[in-house]
Amino acid sequence: MKITVNGQEREAHAGESILDLCRREGIPIPTFCYHQAFGGQGACRMCMVEIKEDGQSRSRLVAACTYPLTKTAEIITESEQIQRIRRTIVMLLARRAGENPLLEELSRAYGAAHLPAITVEPANCILCGLCIHACAEMGRSAIWSMFRGVDKRIATPYDEASDDCMGCAACARVCPTQAIKVEEEDAVRKIWNKTFALVSCSRCGKYYATREELEYLSKHGDFGQQQLCETCRKKNLAYNIKTFQQ
Amino acid sequence: MQTEMNLGSDDRQTVLVCCGTGCTANGGREVFNAFETSLQDHPEIQVLPVVKATGCNGWCEKGPLVRLLPRDITYCSVAPADVDEIINKTLLDGVLVKRLLYRDPVSKEHLTSHHLTDFYRKQHKIALRNIGEIDPGQIDDYVQRGGYQALQKALLGMKGQEVIDTIKASGLRGRGGGGFPTGQKWQACRNASGNTKYIICNGDEGDPGAFMDRSIMEGDPHTVIEGMILGAYAVGASHGYIYVRDEYDLAVQYLRKAVDDARQRGYLGNNILNTGFVFDIDLIRGGGAFVCGEETALIASIEGRVGEPHDKYIFPTEKGLWGKPTVINNVETWANVPVIVLHGPASFAAIGTANSKGTKVFSLVGKVVNTGLVEVPMGTTLREIIYEIGGGVLKKRSFKAVQTGGPSGGCIPAELLDLPIDFDSLTEAGSMMGSGGLIVMDDRTCMVEVARYYVNFLAGESCGKCTPCREGIRALLEILTRISEGQGSIGDLDLLEDISFTMQQASLCALGRTAPNPVLSTLRYFREEYLEHIEQHRCPAGVCRALSIFYIDPEVCNGCGVCARHCAVNAIQGEKKQAHVIDESICIHCGECYRQCAFDAIKLR
Amino acid sequence: MQIDAKEYENASAYKSLIESYAGKPEYLLAIMQDMQRQYNYLPRLAITMIAAHVGLPVSRVYAMASFYKAFSLTPKGRFVIRVCDGTACHIKNSETLLDQIEKQLQARPGETTADGLFSVETVNCLGACALAPVMVINGRVYGKVNRSDVERIIKEYGGQSDAN
Repeated sequence: MKITVNGQEREAHAGESILDLCRREGIPIPTFCYHQAFGGQGACRMCMVEIKEDGQSRSRLVAACTYPLTKTAEIITESEQIQRIRRTIVMLLARRAGENPLLEELSRAYGAAHLPAITVEPANCILCGLCIHACAEMGRSAIWSMFRGVDKRIATPYDEASDDCMGCAACARVCPTQAIKVEEEDAVRKIWNKTFALVSCSRCGKYYATREELEYLSKHGDFGQQQLCETCRKKNLAYNIKTFQQ
Repeated sequence: MQTEMNLGSDDRQTVLVCCGTGCTANGGREVFNAFETSLQDHPEIQVLPVVKATGCNGWCEKGPLVRLLPRDITYCSVAPADVDEIINKTLLDGVLVKRLLYRDPVSKEHLTSHHLTDFYRKQHKIALRNIGEIDPGQIDDYVQRGGYQALQKALLGMKGQEVIDTIKASGLRGRGGGGFPTGQKWQACRNASGNTKYIICNGDEGDPGAFMDRSIMEGDPHTVIEGMILGAYAVGASHGYIYVRDEYDLAVQYLRKAVDDARQRGYLGNNILNTGFVFDIDLIRGGGAFVCGEETALIASIEGRVGEPHDKYIFPTEKGLWGKPTVINNVETWANVPVIVLHGPASFAAIGTANSKGTKVFSLVGKVVNTGLVEVPMGTTLREIIYEIGGGVLKKRSFKAVQTGGPSGGCIPAELLDLPIDFDSLTEAGSMMGSGGLIVMDDRTCMVEVARYYVNFLAGESCGKCTPCREGIRALLEILTRISEGQGSIGDLDLLEDISFTMQQASLCALGRTAPNPVLSTLRYFREEYLEHIEQHRCPAGVCRALSIFYIDPEVCNGCGVCARHCAVNAIQGEKKQAHVIDESICIHCGECYRQCAFDAIKLR
Repeated sequence: MQIDAKEYENASAYKSLIESYAGKPEYLLAIMQDMQRQYNYLPRLAITMIAAHVGLPVSRVYAMASFYKAFSLTPKGRFVIRVCDGTACHIKNSETLLDQIEKQLQARPGETTADGLFSVETVNCLGACALAPVMVINGRVYGKVNRSDVERIIKEYGGQSDAN
């Protein structure tokens, strides 16, 4: 399927999203809520692009991350109105995460006006929703987006320690604004109002995971059984491959 | 009215007591009960009149309404104490109870029937055709007025495609807001691949200031059900859902009974009218979220998820409920379907404008004399509705604007009163048809506050998923609040427009894309009022508390004391028949005195 | 998540209510509504039991409970006063009714009186616009009410006159 992006012809698979095509072809489109592993959510609206499909007389604005390509089309990823939309979105989101380096940099890049900061919980959260997906992918879903409208926020039920949270911090790792607080001191990790004991690596002795996480992982496959941190696990793997090859 | 004469199986007298929400709040149920009990005390009456509780007649202003057939007499504001007199004089002796008749405010004549009033004469009822005429709990009442004949006609003599062609030819467009051509929607669903398809009736009416769907579900539930069955037959669906707003208890009650009755009669179930056609309906009570009026959010809600919409680049007609092709239409749309199928598309298409056919039900409310439900042909002007049917602005104040389309719509000024209303004309005027709320506003309504009110409504009703809607609404609300408190600046107006642009262009669903309409339409037509708030720190309507300082003009005040009685904080003092005074140190600027004074003695500084 | 031990006394009642529906996500809304109707709010234990029954994480059930207006996470008063703030009521100054209620009961929308008798709420539109302003107490509609009507009506339900 022939798709023209910014005047250049590209080849798209039927049904793939505009964003997937552009990422593959190295055409930059800014996003907050997109992650390769989870697909498009259509939530942040940074990825709005103009599309004119075969048979249409006018182009229209669509979210690149959710729009499926099904027929020949012309796409424009940068234009005055697209720029205007992205500038406003950055302006609005920067209020939630004013001192965050990512938003600071984007505000400068887009020349977004400065609006007074607002207090959000957790601080710096821009509600991209990636943490919810990460937790769900782990099979836990300890957090979700609670309430609605301007009160919407990511939380555990009742803002209390959740039985479903195993302290793996996958949520914190995908967060683009470092809004999810992970406090670690010696053998203790605190996250989402819950305290976890950390397990140390059987080889190097570094604290690297919570007991709950390791128990869960070992139940769902043989991960975690050797009690190795990421570095030592990779070393181990490399060693095994080498031995096998010899 | 020939149709009503045929209502009973004989020419027995019939007493129709309106038990719509409005009349019930005014004691309609008690009146109904009084008729039932009092008639028992008249053994001399050989054939007892039939007493029926009906749905909303739409004329809530004059309720409780009691109608007597076959003579077509309408009594207004009836109290249980009036019932004996009605029985003795009218039912037994055939004499009218004059004091209960409606008195035309212009001609001063007493009118025997509500059908003779301006409020009704100018209406054209299709969707509301049965409401007030039948007992919504009795399937026979519906059948006697031609109900389920369209279903017989379709199932026994038409192919599914022919039903769709009929709807297409009628020009029917969705009554829920967007005005999408109904036939086209059905066609897409029929053409979609797959054997399992669904029909949904969207009864999650949420526009503040609109209640037409409620009245239809409460007053004529079978027309909705018959419409859905016809739709199911046309697209090939075997299951349907009615998603009803949780607050609408009475609607749920009547719909539940109607579905059961229809099933018992063979209009629903595994072998409808012995044709082998299978279709059934489940009732779902909404969770209470305005955003669920949006198709994809409604589907999420039925599937047991939070009502967050998703991008509709693939329409629900292809991938809807449980991923299957689904047709969603609103209550009023379904109510039109049986009429179109039964009488053919031509008579429907003959009504209305070039691109908006048929009629539209409006809930006419706010500062207007006759409040209630009105159904008029598309293309009727706002002036006809507000002045001829509605009787003009309340208390003879001056008309300022009419809000149409709820939070997705806008405010239309006096200059556009002669606008013939249809889907397209309202959109061009910066508003929207929406589901049909018409809220009349007078000079005591502040347009900045109206915009702020809608944005505040949406702040709590947006699902909060996408940035432009959630953060845009938050910012609009802050700016409008600032302006209404006298803290706004000229630059705020540009900011309102800039944020609105992004919301319109980039929001995920229609809620966000239309959310700026109340702001943009008031900025377009009432910019001076914004400027007056910003530059002169004055709210000309006397509504914004921070900007309204009231005083009593001693030359005009006659000391009636109404203002003092209504003052919440006892800030008004004065001797009877002497000019009163407001104590500025106590006054909370609520404006209640300003609105209550019948002599305009209270002024705005 | 902490659950008060006393709540377990209701466990079997919750169970029979929940199990009157099949354990599928499509019944989630209906189960939650029945629970809300029965107990006037969604107790913590009930939320965890519902989640287990329909096979969803507790966070998703809690998200539903916090998203939809039909649900309450804390117990409500015996009488729920709902003041309509739909457009028709708003431009006819429904705010005045809330002022009066606050004066009499010291409760703002979203709050319940200390004696547990009244909860005060605003609703967006009750669909009774022709009667604006409208107030509803436990399903009974009061139309065209003014400040003194509110005072009288609340007294009928056992509320005090003005506190001052």
